[in-house]
Amino acid sequence: MSSPVTYIALSLVLFIIGAIGVTLRRNAIVVFMCIEMMLNAVNLAFVAFSKLHGNLDGQIAVLFTMVIAAAESAVGLAIILAVFRSVASVDTAESAELKW
Amino acid sequence: MSFMGFFISVFALASAIGVVSVRNPLYSAFCLIVHLLAIAGLYAVLESHFLAVSQIVVYAGAIMVLVLFVLMLLNLKTEEGRGPGVLRTCIAVAVGGVVLLVALPPLVGRFARMSVIQISDAFRRSEGTVRAIGAELYGDYAVQFELSSLVLLIGVVGAVMLSKRKNPTLGPRPGGLFAGGKQ
Amino acid sequence: MFELLVLLIKVIVVMNLALVLGSLCTWLERKGSALIQDRVGANRAGAFIESDKWYVKPALPVVRMMGWLGFINTFVCDSVKGLWKEDFVPAGTSKFLHAVAPIIAVLPIMLAFAVLPLAPNFTLFGYNIHPRLAPIDAGLLFVLAMGSVAVYGVAIAGWTGNNKFSLLGALRAAAQMISYELPMGLVFVALIVVYGTLDVYTIVEEQGKMLWGVVPQWGIVMQPVGFVVLLLAGMAETKRGPFDLPEAESELAAGYFTEYSGMKFLLFWLGEFCEIALFGLLLALLFFGGWQIPWVRLPEGVWWAALVGHLVLMTKVVFFCVLQIVIRWTLPRFRYDQLMNLGWKMLLPVSLANLAITAIMKVLL
Repeated sequence: MSSPVTYIALSLVLFIIGAIGVTLRRNAIVVFMCIEMMLNAVNLAFVAFSKLHGNLDGQIAVLFTMVIAAAESAVGLAIILAVFRSVASVDTAESAELKW
Repeated sequence: MSFMGFFISVFALASAIGVVSVRNPLYSAFCLIVHLLAIAGLYAVLESHFLAVSQIVVYAGAIMVLVLFVLMLLNLKTEEGRGPGVLRTCIAVAVGGVVLLVALPPLVGRFARMSVIQISDAFRRSEGTVRAIGAELYGDYAVQFELSSLVLLIGVVGAVMLSKRKNPTLGPRPGGLFAGGKQ
Repeated sequence: MFELLVLLIKVIVVMNLALVLGSLCTWLERKGSALIQDRVGANRAGAFIESDKWYVKPALPVVRMMGWLGFINTFVCDSVKGLWKEDFVPAGTSKFLHAVAPIIAVLPIMLAFAVLPLAPNFTLFGYNIHPRLAPIDAGLLFVLAMGSVAVYGVAIAGWTGNNKFSLLGALRAAAQMISYELPMGLVFVALIVVYGTLDVYTIVEEQGKMLWGVVPQWGIVMQPVGFVVLLLAGMAETKRGPFDLPEAESELAAGYFTEYSGMKFLLFWLGEFCEIALFGLLLALLFFGGWQIPWVRLPEGVWWAALVGHLVLMTKVVFFCVLQIVIRWTLPRFRYDQLMNLGWKMLLPVSLANLAITAIMKVLL
């Protein structure tokens, strides 16, 4: 019998891997991708919970997360591009000064 | 966990580690694509086919293409030198491990005893999950659904405004992508 | 046991169908382009074959005929040539990604065939057989998803080319495919509104019903605007015809597959033609009643009716393949800004308005 609990554990592990990536990596786009990974880990947990409880609320939550992630990626990548335009780098350490 | 679920989970884990550890950002984007497809596979294993397909459409089809597009546009080379360093890596992994150890037992312990049989019935009752999800979305979650469309609109407007050049006199710093050749 | 056998046969039939339709399109393109450009086209290879072997002799007229028609040139000579050519990998790129890109370009297209029904359900030896591989309830969405995954093959190919032309081609292709996926998805949504389901089989079944008792409820009757938009968007998705900017020879050498040779190049080609076939199948299923003949009702669940239905469907598919090839060889290439304007300023608003009107009509009627 496949149990959703293992997927919850997996999602926790994935979330932690993503968090480690966010703290360690300097490249803004990679940090962005790690955030996406953390969002996905949470989504996986939602789907597992949805299966566990036998209702669809978890799946609806995942749909909303996807919408937010899509909007976030559009704005986030636009910000990264704008920063790259003024600092010529996507290194998060390079754009420490808040003003140009 | 079924065999298929285990197989895809291994893929998801390996590619997640790849995203974090590979030096070239383009390769970590490819790892992330594999990861997202694996997550879609896990959704399918968990019997939510609609989510699996929309995961592929939204994440693999739109978001990651956008990321790949930006990466190719910027044409970044591998980050040279200045990695996170052994000490910082060790600390981060250790903290992650501690969080895992603290959070895992209560999570698993809380839900391990719940039976899974009740769900299959609930899913079977809702003739095809697409129809059921649609009914939920336009029923209980109608307001949130409309709000999410507003969020998307704001996102689009924000992206357009950000990528628009406001003041041409400010201009980019020399040597930037749009500076026009080497200076 | 019987189920497993049926599944195996289904896998073989569906995958072969994709390949056969793809290679048929290759031949159609060869001879069709020749016809359009007032040439003869491939007609030499195998046409003058001679042999004294007694076991070959009876087959000689057939072989000569096939050579004369260009079959041998297209199906045998080209693939054999592709297999024996040097496999060139440009310096300074990942060999793995270079090898994997053509596979990613082909695989999603083949997978998309898995959710599309190829004939009405029928009963054979007391078993109900559903002539499609994966009966998932979000079938239409799955096709869209696979179309969007195919972008990666192109993007990775352009990246591993390690030169400016390839990269530009890949960027153009990615932007073009994303842009034209939007109107495509909106047309699908309008269709879903009309027929009330995402399942392609049910959509085809619904099209058999009569509108006011006279006209069959085909997609072309219910969604004429949607058909035009989908035709344009689909042509742009296949990156052919007037939309072949990612591989524009006069500007970008060959675009994203400039650095590909041998069998890897042929894989891209195969993917392109499979995409044409897939798109033809999609048009036939969604807009032209699939396996149905208007005003003719075939008996349900009989094997010969399924066979007839399949042949009818294939006729429609071949028609749409020919249509795409004719468009590709008659119209000149767009400029890139014209392409983007067509996608974002024409097709997207039109498909949005189409969706809104469809929804209002659905509520009112």
